[in-house]
Amino acid sequence: MLTVALQQGINGIVFGSLYVLVALGLTLIYGVLVQINFAHADVVTIGAFAAYFFTFAFGGNYLISIGVALMVGAALGWLVNAAIFAPLRERGSELLPLIATIGVSILLQNAMLLWFGPIPYAFDSPYSNKVIRLWGGTFITLQNLIIVLVSALTIVLLYAFMKFTMMGKALRAVAQDRETAGLMGINPNQLIMLTFVIASALAGMGGAMLGPILVLTPFAGTSVIVKAFAIVIIGGFGNVEGTIIAGLLVGLIESYTTQFVNPGLTDIVVFTLLLLMLALRPTGLIAEKREENV
Amino acid sequence: MRKHSAILCISIAASVALFAAAKAAQAQDKVLKIGGLFAMSGPGSYFGVQDKQGIELAIEQVNKTGVNGYRFEVQYEDSACSPLPATQAAKRVLEQYKPDVVLGEECSDATLAIMPLMEQAKVTLLNAGSSSIKITDPGNPWTFRIMPNEVMQGVDIATNAYKRLNARTAVLLYENTNAGIGNAKVFGDTFKSLGGQILADIGFGRDVNDFTAIATRIAGLGKVDVIPTYTLEGQGLRITQALAQAGVTKGGGGQSIQLGTIWLPFGFEQKAGKAALGYVRIVQFDPTDKRDVVQNFIRSFKAKYNQEPTHINAHAFDQILVIADVVRRGGKDSQSIRDIMATTKGFSGVTGSVEFDKTNQNIKMDTIHYMETLPDLSWKALGWN
Repeated sequence: MLTVALQQGINGIVFGSLYVLVALGLTLIYGVLVQINFAHADVVTIGAFAAYFFTFAFGGNYLISIGVALMVGAALGWLVNAAIFAPLRERGSELLPLIATIGVSILLQNAMLLWFGPIPYAFDSPYSNKVIRLWGGTFITLQNLIIVLVSALTIVLLYAFMKFTMMGKALRAVAQDRETAGLMGINPNQLIMLTFVIASALAGMGGAMLGPILVLTPFAGTSVIVKAFAIVIIGGFGNVEGTIIAGLLVGLIESYTTQFVNPGLTDIVVFTLLLLMLALRPTGLIAEKREENV
Repeated sequence: MRKHSAILCISIAASVALFAAAKAAQAQDKVLKIGGLFAMSGPGSYFGVQDKQGIELAIEQVNKTGVNGYRFEVQYEDSACSPLPATQAAKRVLEQYKPDVVLGEECSDATLAIMPLMEQAKVTLLNAGSSSIKITDPGNPWTFRIMPNEVMQGVDIATNAYKRLNARTAVLLYENTNAGIGNAKVFGDTFKSLGGQILADIGFGRDVNDFTAIATRIAGLGKVDVIPTYTLEGQGLRITQALAQAGVTKGGGGQSIQLGTIWLPFGFEQKAGKAALGYVRIVQFDPTDKRDVVQNFIRSFKAKYNQEPTHINAHAFDQILVIADVVRRGGKDSQSIRDIMATTKGFSGVTGSVEFDKTNQNIKMDTIHYMETLPDLSWKALGWN
């Protein structure tokens, strides 16, 4: 039983790491713009397809395909923000960009349906079937180890960027108070663009690593994004540290619910936690420093 | 005088010929309108794509000569393998297109949702891919099914697992839908009644992506002989791979045999890779079947699409052949199509035979074909039915 419990812990950390990658993008955008981006799921899917085609159509290396997906995600984030969200924000409405994210999501899904078709793609990483035996009969596939390592590295780099660089500090300043940050000489529009680029890059990269796990269709990202929204809320709207903790927590809860309760109840457990959090601690695990939270 | 008579005779003959030709053309202009409710989007959309291929091929062949002066025409709507979009699609097709007969859906929940609408509109619904028993039991007089239902399939699979594979322990894996739950229950009940033991009963939602945790749980259960699995293709692939990675199934060096359903398309093994080794599943169409109707179908399908046909292509093709058979026997509108379809007997299609009982369920079991995945990922027909 101990082996099984340990194994489920490993499984939970692997999937939790992926949740964190996807949810971090959402939380960054929410932190800066106080806006939910419904199109984030589709950037995840496009990242997965970018990695798939790079690997299988062009014979590229899977590890490099993670970088390719990151760049495709970043480019898409820049494009969508420049072409759609930024002009709508300039009109001063908060509702328009929110609705636009739904429109962009539907547009991207249908474009992918047209290009890639509805039949699931078999995206197998060359590392999926390489099993590394660990202690006491537990194991991890090389693919899952890559997921954990890449996610951990990304989280460390993002954390360092936010804490120690001028741009990261400026980004946090915009998140806390956009107007005051603007008065201090920070260009909020540039930083909003940077936020979209970073968030979409993370989503694209997450897609490349989720690809071999997900059922890869034009709607693949949708199944992950609902959990990512829950993680953002549980972690504390816009808080990076909270999102990391919540992501790993949700991954572990899913694994242990599957093992000791019932796999059909994982969503119920996760969303009950979400409701409890909203009722008892609406600011999430770690409250973000915001005017409304003070 | 003789010359005039000859001209008169030629004129009359020409007129008769022209009249006959016009009449024939007019007859050919009679159109039998067929509505097609299939998933074109969402996780079940692979059904819709393949259904459409099979239907288009059959329509092309039928329309070469027409049937009793009828030309077949189809209008498709996306029913998305889900109850709400399916009812919306059904309403659209019934109100706007006014079909004589409707084909679909593949997913049981969607089929169950559209059945009352078809009954209300008094339009025959011909189903080829849904397995839930509720579709024909109690069913309604306007819905026909050519595929064996979940009880027929489940009893057969469980019996074969117990008697031919000597399985004594099983884990049930299924999506939480009418069809998933129903199929798993029938298997479980039959298997237990034969003396087998169900070690775990695991249902999950269609949004589950990672099956590593489920595979780990199964690996911790000890000796599992068979794992009957009821999912759509996407989740099916991930389950098969996760079970192999956890060392549970033969594809991963374990002993368990995964048992699969008609839901999975051909080509599943190639996508799943070595993880699918030893997988035993049922399909509705056996490409090694020597009957002319099967071999002609394979040839014409390859010629049109430059690919191997799947059993989803095949059962969609058969749906049109069943309708053609009904029209040949006098079906011309919703009511007559329903009445004549109910008397179908001895029909032989690509998937097998069709004969409806009083609930409009096809009672012929030769539409179930057992296949086993070999190490080179090809199939071996097991010939169990």
